[in-house]
Amino acid sequence: MKPGERFPDLDLPDHTGRPRRLSELAGGDPVALFTSRGWWCPKEQRYMRGLCRLQDEFEVAYARIVVLSVDPPQVQSAFRAGLGARFTFLSDAERRWLPRLGLLETTDTVHHPYLPAAFTLQPDLRVHRTYNGYWYFGRPTQDELRRDMREITMEVRDDWEAPAA
Amino acid sequence: MRPFAFVVFDGTRLSLDAHAPGRRLRIDARCVEGEPVHGVFAHVCALPDRSAALRYDEPEVQQARRDALAWWIPMLGDELICLSTFALDASRCAGAITVARDPGWFADDPFARLFPGTVLATDVFCAVPPPAGPPIERYAGAPWPGGRFESDASVM
Repeated sequence: MKPGERFPDLDLPDHTGRPRRLSELAGGDPVALFTSRGWWCPKEQRYMRGLCRLQDEFEVAYARIVVLSVDPPQVQSAFRAGLGARFTFLSDAERRWLPRLGLLETTDTVHHPYLPAAFTLQPDLRVHRTYNGYWYFGRPTQDELRRDMREITMEVRDDWEAPAA
Repeated sequence: MRPFAFVVFDGTRLSLDAHAPGRRLRIDARCVEGEPVHGVFAHVCALPDRSAALRYDEPEVQQARRDALAWWIPMLGDELICLSTFALDASRCAGAITVARDPGWFADDPFARLFPGTVLATDVFCAVPPPAGPPIERYAGAPWPGGRFESDASVM
């Protein structure tokens, strides 16, 4: 997935089991989409705690956080509640999208999870920037996510410059 | 399109007739602009008293919406039909409504912290996908979670 390409409009259950589409979750706002190994990975736990600190800013800035993993909805729901997250998790427990996205972590032959990666997306799901999170420090920092959201917001909000009186 | 519709609440009844007696409240238009779901229940956390209002920016109103995203909507799961805050004008919130198949959950409604809840049987509300965020309203006067920013770069 390269910048400018459109990310697939994933159709998957969310952490409550309700069918969702990625475009519906975007709802006309910029999106930070994270593929995640799963609740059991200490690196994911650490990174998600950071995202929970960032969610307050995303919420008031009209941007979305979405996490995609192979955990079943009920596991995601428990993980999400434990983290204190208010953003949406999408469950690909059946691994319907995993091969199509080409994001299988081949070195984990136990869980067959998603490779950790991040995609910052325009509201129409065009990719703005990608991050390879196989190594922890490959993931976007909070400041990089703020920068990406600023760049996308500047591009898509006609009133970025406050309207003149 | 106007992102809200009106309901009227008199303390015991809820009506979509804007001229019915009671207090006129703005609601997310999607809740009443579709195929109604019959035999469901509404938890109306509002009062007929016209002075019963809080600013949307008050911390308790913000926190109730954060709680809705964090656990209220997940807890309701498939039971949820729709929910909306009630807006009065550009800045004031008069409470909220949650519509669900089973009223047994309503005792935990986070919006009941704002105004006491009344349970009503209803046949007029539509199923609306629950919000994924944000917990703040988009336009002054638009009841949360209704409305969206117009953008050419949106998948419709």
